[in-house]
Amino acid sequence: MTSPISIQFLAALFLAPAFAGAGALLVGIPILIHILNRRRYKLVNWAAMDFLLKALRKNRRRLRFEQLVLLITRCLVLLLLGLALARPTGCNDSTLAGLAGERNSLHVLVIDNSYSLAYEASRPDARTHLDQARKLARQIVAGLSAGGESVAIITAARPATAVILKPTFDLQSAVAAIDRIEQSFGSTDLLGALTLARQIAQAEPRPVPRYLDLFTDSTRSAWIIPQADALAKTGTELAGLFHVQHFSLGQTGQSNAAVLNLHPSSRLVTTRFPTELLATVRAFGPSSPITVQWKQDETLLPTPPAAQFDATSAPIVQPRVVFPAGGGHTLSATVLSTDRLPIDNTHYRAVDVASELRLLIVEGERGSGALSSSAAFLQLALAPPQEGTGKSDSNLLPELISDIELAGKPLDSYRSIVLCGVGQVSPAVADQLQRFVQAGGTLVVTMGEAVNADNYNHVLTPRKLLPGMLVRRMASAADSRGYTFDFNPRGLLHPLLNIFRNEEKSGLDTVQVFTYWQVQLPTDSPAERVLNFVSDAPDKPADPAITVHSFGEGRVVFFATTVNADWTSLPAKLAFVPLMQELVGGTIAGNDAWMNRLVGQSIELPATIKLTTVPSLTDISQRQWPMHAQTINGATVYQSDPIPRPGIYMLQTGLKKIPIAVNVPDDEADIRVLDGPAIKRALGQIEMESFGDQLSAQGPGAEGQSHHDFGWIIMLAVLALAGIESFMAMRFGHPVKRK
Amino acid sequence: MSDQTTDYRKYLDPRTLARVSGLDLRARLIVEGLMTGMHRSPYQGISVEFAQHRPYVPGDDTRHVDWKVFGRSDKIYLKQYQEETNLHLICLVDASESMGYGSIPGWTKYDHATAIAASLSYMAIQQQDAVGLGIFDAVLSRFFKPSNSPGQWKVVVNELQQIPRWNKTNTGRILSELAEKLRHRSLIVVLSDLFDDIESIKQGLRHLRYKKHELMVFQILDPAEIEFPFEDVILFKGLEDLGELLTEPRSLREGYQKQLQDFTQQMQTICRGMNIDFVRMNSGESLEISLSSFLAVRAASIK
Repeated sequence: MTSPISIQFLAALFLAPAFAGAGALLVGIPILIHILNRRRYKLVNWAAMDFLLKALRKNRRRLRFEQLVLLITRCLVLLLLGLALARPTGCNDSTLAGLAGERNSLHVLVIDNSYSLAYEASRPDARTHLDQARKLARQIVAGLSAGGESVAIITAARPATAVILKPTFDLQSAVAAIDRIEQSFGSTDLLGALTLARQIAQAEPRPVPRYLDLFTDSTRSAWIIPQADALAKTGTELAGLFHVQHFSLGQTGQSNAAVLNLHPSSRLVTTRFPTELLATVRAFGPSSPITVQWKQDETLLPTPPAAQFDATSAPIVQPRVVFPAGGGHTLSATVLSTDRLPIDNTHYRAVDVASELRLLIVEGERGSGALSSSAAFLQLALAPPQEGTGKSDSNLLPELISDIELAGKPLDSYRSIVLCGVGQVSPAVADQLQRFVQAGGTLVVTMGEAVNADNYNHVLTPRKLLPGMLVRRMASAADSRGYTFDFNPRGLLHPLLNIFRNEEKSGLDTVQVFTYWQVQLPTDSPAERVLNFVSDAPDKPADPAITVHSFGEGRVVFFATTVNADWTSLPAKLAFVPLMQELVGGTIAGNDAWMNRLVGQSIELPATIKLTTVPSLTDISQRQWPMHAQTINGATVYQSDPIPRPGIYMLQTGLKKIPIAVNVPDDEADIRVLDGPAIKRALGQIEMESFGDQLSAQGPGAEGQSHHDFGWIIMLAVLALAGIESFMAMRFGHPVKRK
Repeated sequence: MSDQTTDYRKYLDPRTLARVSGLDLRARLIVEGLMTGMHRSPYQGISVEFAQHRPYVPGDDTRHVDWKVFGRSDKIYLKQYQEETNLHLICLVDASESMGYGSIPGWTKYDHATAIAASLSYMAIQQQDAVGLGIFDAVLSRFFKPSNSPGQWKVVVNELQQIPRWNKTNTGRILSELAEKLRHRSLIVVLSDLFDDIESIKQGLRHLRYKKHELMVFQILDPAEIEFPFEDVILFKGLEDLGELLTEPRSLREGYQKQLQDFTQQMQTICRGMNIDFVRMNSGESLEISLSSFLAVRAASIK
């Protein structure tokens, strides 16, 4: 029985120790054949025995020697054949190693092809960092030993991809794979790439030296990532599997100016009010004053004078941009500088400009008087009629219906739905409302006399259409002044109340609330408190009066009391109209998030987009990008493949063309180079070798880094011995050709 | 005519002869086959009693031309005489165990020897020569004095057809014994593989030559003994109690052939030194060589 130590010893000496054992066993075969041959013979009666015996006496010693040499040769052939197949390794840098033509190792090349590698450096034979990385990788592969050293290749642009996952011994195909690596416009996924490298090393069955060659530009975006702990842990694991080598392609003094972001200052862009645009322009490394060019639908906007930017510059503003028509529009901001990384000089934005916002107000109580219904005040507040004409000039177009009409009503054309004291909501209607919010709509839920708390708690709360359970209806004593809002115009205000900042006479602080529903917010509730009631005891937490929380693409606003005069004096206050306008209008989001994508993301059409034909997507060069239909919850959803290049794309839906903006990720723009110790820290302080952007004589392309494989040398010896055996067998044993 | 020639000459091949059962028939076929291939008739030799004239044909010996007839008629005729016995032929056949070896199916060295002996006897008796026979192994088991009586042929053939006892051999002693036994000067044809002590054989031959006998020695060897064509591991079991040997024959071939060649050359040297004709015969080859040699020697002895 072979001890584990022997097995370990053999495993250290041979790549395939089983063949060595097989060779040792095969040695017995010629001996066995020899013995068996002595047992199996023919009997011949022979007359000339005397001559035969004389010949034997004379040649006995020579014959024995020849037979012994032949037997030993045959045994050696089999033994050495086993050893050759077992692939003995060893001798890193010895003289003997020079005799062995073969080395044996695994090389995993991780090449960062994220967009920062498109930086154009001043190298004579490699335009970009990626070109230089490809060149170094080719040199390393060219220095490998065919047949013994294998190569796997991983690209580190997001998503990290194994170009060659199963290590190949075909070095030519490895070089071809390196040449095929394309410049990506995505960010770096170094953690993903290193995870793939770990998988490759763990799947490698041969106990050979392993080398992990990392080619990155050493930028912060690649190495300083949010998952720093995971990166350090992976680095530590890799150090146990690989000899890690890093090639830093970045150069000190690199500079880059980029537009990282461009967006309207408000969530909703309308035709009614001018919009303020914000652009985040940053300069990394040494920089000079930069001019930023703005465009709206290919029309130049006023260009501000050149300014100095740095890595922390505040956003710049393009004020009062007017959109004359609703629908899709494009914006862009471009850095007019000749830096070496032009990919991120322009940032695009597609906006869905709203010309009117349709609202649906569902009233739970119909009053007999002019302002006695639960939603009458709200309707007036959202669309106040002009004096004289009686028509409203608000861009909010409210439509009033009863709760009975809500069931089955198509909701796609509304941007917001307000439930005003609706008594009960059926599960089917709740599902409809849930889909509405998930798709980007705003739901405002206000209380009233008819509200059935049990129904709300069983139907709306589980669907996240309420911030919590309605636990108690709070009512003040008849002789008391009621509950008041905890409002301080000079204090910390929720953004929805910003319009009341410093407004001493808004009246919000004097509003009396006689009745409200106390809602219990879970501890992990995502709901934001917009306004609270003043607590009646110092140690008692304040009950929320207004909350807002996001759900899906949309938002849900909870108003704890009525929006008419039944339970509160709020409708009589000046603040009522702007508060309602903010709560309803301010929570409506522009429906253009799907129109702004990053490189590598796909475009998915929301269900609210009306289609009259199969949608088609084209880029600026009119190249078609396929849209694939998928059925989700019975509805057909169109989705594109991940978009690989930045720019403006046009989506044809039949009725209209919708612009789509695709941008490079903003985290790659910082091309400032980290030093070796910082990279080592990022990988968990592992032992690693750092190289520049050139191969040195001691670098991994140099000879002698791998263990030499003596298998081929021994195989040559086997062939030589087989030749000798054939000659000896012919010379000693085979018959002379008869004449 | 040529077809007939071909038909007879094939009986000189041992493989054909092996299929002919009667030794007398074998002998006749051999002799006929031999004669049809020769230009010069062996039957007409120098004798005392004139028989006839016949026209000269190219190739005839000019010594036999009758010049008197040529002087009278300008035509060349040869004188032909009735032959008479002037030779005592004794075939001494080795019937030891080693002669029983044969690698050709149905054809041993002994078969070869008896075929030659019978053929020679047939030819001799046809020419009224006296024919004798000796068959020996360790002893001279059978001996028949030479005689030219017509019944001698049957006696010789019958004796050669007897199955031997396959004993050991003692050639030298037998030769000496024969030398003491013979009174009349004879032509003695020894048919043996000579697998015996060479010094003893030498002594025997010398004894016979001392007694003024003419000698012809035919060493008969099997093709396998000459070529040693064995490949696999073989247990050689020696005939005449020479023991056993388990060996790989390929490795011994060269040494064996050299030993055999050395022995044959020694025998040739010994025979040449005593004016004895020595012919090594391959029992797998035609009998023509042996018979032609015999006829040449006989012609020389008549002169």
